[in-house]
Amino acid sequence: MAGLTLNHLYKRYDNSGKKKKIKNDFAVKDLNLVCEQGEFVALLGPSGCGKTTTLRMIAGLEEITDGQIYIGERLVNDLHPKDRNIGLAFEDYAMYPPLNVYGNVAFNLRAKGVDKAEIDRKVREIAPLMQIDDLLEKMPVKLSGGQKQRVNIARAIIREPELLLMDEPLSHLDGKARQAMRTEIKRLINKIKCTTVYVTHDQLEAMSLADKIAIINFGVLQQFGTPSEVYDDPANEFVASFIGEPPMNILETTIINKDGTFFFTFHDSNLQIAVPKRYYDVVSDGFRCKMGVRPMDVLIGGPDSQGTPEEIATFENLGDERRIGIHVGDVLMMLITEDEKRYKRGDIIKLEVRGEKTHLFDIETGDRIREKK
Amino acid sequence: MARIQLQNVRKAFGKVQALDGISIDVKDKEFFVLFGPAGAGKTTILNCIAGIAMPEEGVVKFDDDVMNLTDPAHRNVAMVFENYALYPQMTVYDNMASALRSKLYKTDENEIRERILWAAKTMKMENLLERLPSQLSNGQKQRVAMGRALVRTPNVFLMDEPLAHLDAKLRNAMRTELKEMQANLGSTCIYVTHDFMEAMALGDRIAIINEGKIVQIGTGDEIYYMPCNEFTAQLMGDPQINIFRAEVFGPDDSYSIKINVRGESVTMALPKDDGVYAKIREQGLSHADIGIRPQNVKYSFEPKEGYFKTTVYSYESIGNKSVIVAECGDYQLRMIAPNGLNVAIDSEVYIRFELDHIILFDPDTKNYIVRSDEANFIALATAGEEK
Amino acid sequence: MKNGKQKALNVLMNILLIIYAIFALFPLVWMILISFKSDTEVFTTTFVFNPTLANYQEVLLRSDYGRYILDSVVVSGGAVLVSIIVGVPAAYALARYNFPRKEDLAFQILSYKFAPEILVVLPLFMIYQKIGLYDSYVGLIWVYQLISLPLLIWVVRGYFEDISVEIEYAAQVDGYSWYQIFFKMLVPLIKPGLVSSALLAFIFAWNSFTFPLILSSNKVYPVTVAIMKYLGTDSAHYGQLAVASTVSALPAMIFALCIQKHLVRGLSFGAVKG
Repeated sequence: MAGLTLNHLYKRYDNSGKKKKIKNDFAVKDLNLVCEQGEFVALLGPSGCGKTTTLRMIAGLEEITDGQIYIGERLVNDLHPKDRNIGLAFEDYAMYPPLNVYGNVAFNLRAKGVDKAEIDRKVREIAPLMQIDDLLEKMPVKLSGGQKQRVNIARAIIREPELLLMDEPLSHLDGKARQAMRTEIKRLINKIKCTTVYVTHDQLEAMSLADKIAIINFGVLQQFGTPSEVYDDPANEFVASFIGEPPMNILETTIINKDGTFFFTFHDSNLQIAVPKRYYDVVSDGFRCKMGVRPMDVLIGGPDSQGTPEEIATFENLGDERRIGIHVGDVLMMLITEDEKRYKRGDIIKLEVRGEKTHLFDIETGDRIREKK
Repeated sequence: MARIQLQNVRKAFGKVQALDGISIDVKDKEFFVLFGPAGAGKTTILNCIAGIAMPEEGVVKFDDDVMNLTDPAHRNVAMVFENYALYPQMTVYDNMASALRSKLYKTDENEIRERILWAAKTMKMENLLERLPSQLSNGQKQRVAMGRALVRTPNVFLMDEPLAHLDAKLRNAMRTELKEMQANLGSTCIYVTHDFMEAMALGDRIAIINEGKIVQIGTGDEIYYMPCNEFTAQLMGDPQINIFRAEVFGPDDSYSIKINVRGESVTMALPKDDGVYAKIREQGLSHADIGIRPQNVKYSFEPKEGYFKTTVYSYESIGNKSVIVAECGDYQLRMIAPNGLNVAIDSEVYIRFELDHIILFDPDTKNYIVRSDEANFIALATAGEEK
Repeated sequence: MKNGKQKALNVLMNILLIIYAIFALFPLVWMILISFKSDTEVFTTTFVFNPTLANYQEVLLRSDYGRYILDSVVVSGGAVLVSIIVGVPAAYALARYNFPRKEDLAFQILSYKFAPEILVVLPLFMIYQKIGLYDSYVGLIWVYQLISLPLLIWVVRGYFEDISVEIEYAAQVDGYSWYQIFFKMLVPLIKPGLVSSALLAFIFAWNSFTFPLILSSNKVYPVTVAIMKYLGTDSAHYGQLAVASTVSALPAMIFALCIQKHLVRGLSFGAVKG
């Protein structure tokens, strides 16, 4: 059973008041998404891509221009937010300052007129789950960022919603607290098994939390898949460069044919990389495209390697790993190695790439060029 | 360019002792990193060197000149501030020209133009010169702040967390760029950061600062492989090093360690390592805190010979790889795994340590005792220093 | 349907605004009307009358009105100038330095504006007569500091607090002395606040009535007090009174209109940060 279905969802900006029409006036354009029951889905994209608008439409805080939203089997387009049976945990912890934590967590149930003993039972049940049992008597101003966020989530899930919506809940936390809270959220959602939609601009957060990631750019869904799908099999150049840190090396290339063997060549560089055999059906001599390969899939060849010798431009020893930068034209191509050897600027290494991890992208549209099956 | 020395510098703000006897000796043209957690006193050290803050005790020397009584304008230092501190009413060009137009560092306008164009090119910001700071993104402001320092030929460049306000991706990219232009700096540089990757990648030498004191000074490799105590070890590395208590026992020629995993004790033989064995024997160790980096912890989802059983606490991506955290009772173990594994929370996982990659700490003082293969790592670290 | 509602709401809002505008501007319009009426028509006509410039001729050409305006300019302008010279450094000190009882001092400066003028003016009258400041420019400029200084200090302090201290450090490191930094870096940054608060202070000083009424008589005669002259003991020349009032209100109104946008932004900018 689907937990949430978005069917051809559109959102148009309200331009009526403005003199200047915005060119791309759709915040969300033809968005289709099916989240299975109990699935944790991240909406990921740069700021202004429409992910928060989508979330607000699901929550009922924003009018829908076109399309349908189903929560479970119910069409909720015209339902008031309070009737949609959703839990919200938003970026700014909007807690009621005069109430203590207990009061805040219980607030929604009280508003609904739930029986007092029942409220107490539920609060006591959820408090240890969120590790806020010691905080129940405290006032919101006394809480740390992480604690506030836990209370916030407790408040969202106490109504046992069909759907939990979170909008950048970690953006107020920094460094270690953020990492710790991320782990906690993941364990919690795993425990309550509630369908969850989570908005973030941080690809790491999405990668480590979500069962599935919907990557959105300019209001258009780029790819919807599991973290390993979007990482290893990106649909286009945008996804490839957005996911992963350091980002994928993406280089413009012209393919040449040397005695029946195809090579990637690069403007202003002597680097040549053999084109993987599986692409032979789609490339030709003089074919131009972009080649993408992740920094850990670029390798340093041994002494008898066939790779092109290249000069090291940057060498960064990061303890756990070492990053090497090499100029390919005016792009700095990065590679990551865990080998203990120390290089320095100006050293020559032979470059190889893992052919099976090499992706091709259309030079104009950025779409993935796939080998023929 | 100059050699920068601080000798026993102390400084208090009210009741807080911000600097508690700091002594450093930064060589001419060295790239020196001050690394430590927030509030350690790193920025105060920079301010003392720049002359913005006055040490209450101790000496600040540039080459052989004591600078304590020299005001900031006359010290000829170039500083990059954490919040960039660009002059909001001036264009980027005028911001960069500011120092060269002051009475003290008066330079011919033609030369100013030349220097600014060069710096702008180095920082890849030629297109920004006519803009006002309010029209710049954070990353661009950072470039301008850096460029403003670069146009000068100071005694020392002081950089206060210049990358701290950038998002992770941009920060990494900028760090690499900084590394690339390091050779062009041509002057001593003191760089403050709380990011371990910046410290490792950029520093010729690193000083670890905590609570106004220097904890350790050394090359990146020295500190990474031979941290002087558990604090430093935990600071150097992301994900953090695993440190747990172990009982050490055995006949002199084959020691073993015993650790507690969820109430059950697990015994492992300690591989033969002359240095480690000698130290254990010498100090008569019965217990030790063992540090082992996440990449030296191996996992399996099937029971395996030599592996002990725990459960998965979490599995999270950290970019190009992932971290599995395993629950072991009163401590947790972090280990490196590839991205995209299908790991269920609370499922069983089997673990083995690569015990030939451990660091031993004193369980009471938390200080470094010895590490596996120590002689080799000393050689590696000092080779880096010569370079 | 939604659009219709929106339109109706708009119309209603505009009507309310027009009603308010009439209400607010009526005294002003009335005053200007009177200034064109002859003494005989003041009470007998409303909007229909024979406009005359006689009042203007009388006030502007045949009386000392020019001198009164000049007195007002000197006293108000002088007061604002002194406030700037004293207030900007004071604001800087309050913004940047930490010293014991700083906030108490700042509050005390603000409290100058709390006391009703009439309360302080009587003892001042005695003191001024004793020390010879009565009926002098210096005396009035001094007492006007009660009006202009607190305003200026509070607004400018907010501006200084908004400038990060690192900008001063950066300029120091760039090789500038403190005075150069102050005039080249800081003054341009506080200018919006300085200009708007100075203009507002000027208007307040200009409009001040109690102080000049009691602390000056013949030698210094600001326009607010001078207007009273046209209410003679025997006859009240309401037309001339209206002319004097209209002309004296002009500078304040012109200033206020010119700097309107600037003023609201300038004052709220520094003040937002508490």
